[in-house]
Amino acid sequence: MTHISCQGVTVKFGGIIACSELALSVAEGKIYGLIGPNGAGKTTLFNVLSRFQNCDSGSVYFRGDCIDCKRPHDMVRLGISRTFQNINLFSAQSTLENILVGAHRLAGNPFANMFALPSARKNQRMLLARAHEVAELLRLENHLEVPVRNLPYGHQKRVELARALASEPEVILLDEPVAGCNSQEVEELKDFVRVINKELGITVLLVEHDMSMVMEICDYIYVINFGANLAEGTPAEIRKNPKVIAAYLGEEE
Amino acid sequence: MSESRRLGVRGPLPGVPQSGTASVRDAERKRAAIASLQAGFRRQNIFLVASLFLTAALAPALPFVEDWMSMQASLVIIYILAAQGVSILTGQTGLVTVGHGGFLAIGAYTSALLAKYFAVDLSLSIVAGAVMAGLIGCLLGLIFLRLAGAFMAIGTLGFAFFIGTIVNNVPIFEGRDGIQMPHSRIFGMLLGDTGFYYVALAVLALTTAFVYILLRSPVGRAFRALRDSEKAAESSGVNRLFYRTLAFTTSAALTGIAGVLNANITGYVSAETYGDIWYSVDFLVATVVGGSSALMGPFVGGAFIVMVPFYLEQLADFAFILKGVVLILVLQFAPAGVCDVIAKPFRDLRRKQLQRIQDDVEKTSPPALAALFSRGRQ
Repeated sequence: MTHISCQGVTVKFGGIIACSELALSVAEGKIYGLIGPNGAGKTTLFNVLSRFQNCDSGSVYFRGDCIDCKRPHDMVRLGISRTFQNINLFSAQSTLENILVGAHRLAGNPFANMFALPSARKNQRMLLARAHEVAELLRLENHLEVPVRNLPYGHQKRVELARALASEPEVILLDEPVAGCNSQEVEELKDFVRVINKELGITVLLVEHDMSMVMEICDYIYVINFGANLAEGTPAEIRKNPKVIAAYLGEEE
Repeated sequence: MSESRRLGVRGPLPGVPQSGTASVRDAERKRAAIASLQAGFRRQNIFLVASLFLTAALAPALPFVEDWMSMQASLVIIYILAAQGVSILTGQTGLVTVGHGGFLAIGAYTSALLAKYFAVDLSLSIVAGAVMAGLIGCLLGLIFLRLAGAFMAIGTLGFAFFIGTIVNNVPIFEGRDGIQMPHSRIFGMLLGDTGFYYVALAVLALTTAFVYILLRSPVGRAFRALRDSEKAAESSGVNRLFYRTLAFTTSAALTGIAGVLNANITGYVSAETYGDIWYSVDFLVATVVGGSSALMGPFVGGAFIVMVPFYLEQLADFAFILKGVVLILVLQFAPAGVCDVIAKPFRDLRRKQLQRIQDDVEKTSPPALAALFSRGRQ
């Protein structure tokens, strides 16, 4: 079944066309990759999918319903959560607090929470247990009380992943999950993405520049260039596609 | 929304080891040890605050305490209340306000008008002042929805001037002549200085409990998330419009309560005092000096703002200069406030205790999820 898809997405920033007539379709339970050279419009498309960016034309669908009019904070309630390209954490707050904000969707009625009504207290305990589970899943359980800005870079990436997971999404959008990580951290994050997909059954769409990671873990890849669809297919097909090779390495004269 | 995910909300995550295995028992043991340690920390905090209030409640009975002191202490409490309001908006939600004098005026005039024309009891007056200030705070929050940083400061400053102009010029507020209120009564009883002090102290106890609960709840968490990164907060499902407006409303309501008490302490309100912005500036300074993110910050800041001019009366205007100097020193050397400096060694100690538990468990058991991740790698 198709989870999230978009059609004819066009975004213009002044005279610059960031995306023109982009289309993609993500099926349930798989890992999808979105690649393209710098400036191809990957992040813009991501922002369109997570509703941080409105498109000039085209539509985004989730389970067949148009979600063009949704606001960013509605997305986790639908079951879509995302991470950011440059780490975007609540840096002065602890790992646990960050994950708990991620679980905000499950927090219940704010007015009951404000006055600590009995229902809210029960809910609070549930949230806390959930946050601990997610932390253990991502092996953050020994860093829960540390302000995240004091954590190593790879851990911060994991905290961001944990925060996105805490809302119990169906689809998770990862914007360059291993950018700036060393090779060991890349290996770890690869495993985590696989676990999220295989064990939790969450559909993954990721933008990434690390080709070895994309080729290794993705089931299906979309390639875009200059804001337009260039190619799509399995990693093996993409590897052999002459158009993709030309876009990345330049055409032979 | 799929049924499977809804069920997943209640059940355990499939990736987490099921109960009964060794690793689960370790994880549970650790979680229980940490939870009990944290419950202990919470009890210590509550005990400290409770003993502070108890001391304050017994103080009037002490032999060396004189009558005039209760008046001064009530004034301190009023500033603490207002600073609590400011700290929710500025400290927690990250919206700098230089306009909370406006909400103080709204609370004060609500109380004065109700007392003068309808002889309303102080208890009802406090509720009415909170509701009135809260409503206008809600409206202001909606109007200033897109403002942030310095623009928010200027916007709220404009609000303070706006309220000042209204109380100066709209006839019902009686401008600089002011409104003389009948003597305050609570539940029908006439209030003396000491009686008023007890009312103020009781109100402060209630608001402190409220702020404590609020800051630890998902609502407080949403406020801080919006302060640190609006984008990340929204992507986590925090409704920016709702929580910003909620922060404005609760913050305004708390300062409105301070306004009601401030009107009743003198029994007189006029545009002379409520028409300018000095209250707004004082509240902001109190919040910054005390520390805007700590529960006790407003207590330190409120006491500072009231007691410095009081003890330095003979120095006259020099007290103003001293306030400014202290503000600059605090911003330079303790940007998180005086309270944070006092609390830091205790916080570090607690963090070390927590870490020790985590390290202990680490030594006695292998990482709980090692098995799981080797499975994922196949």
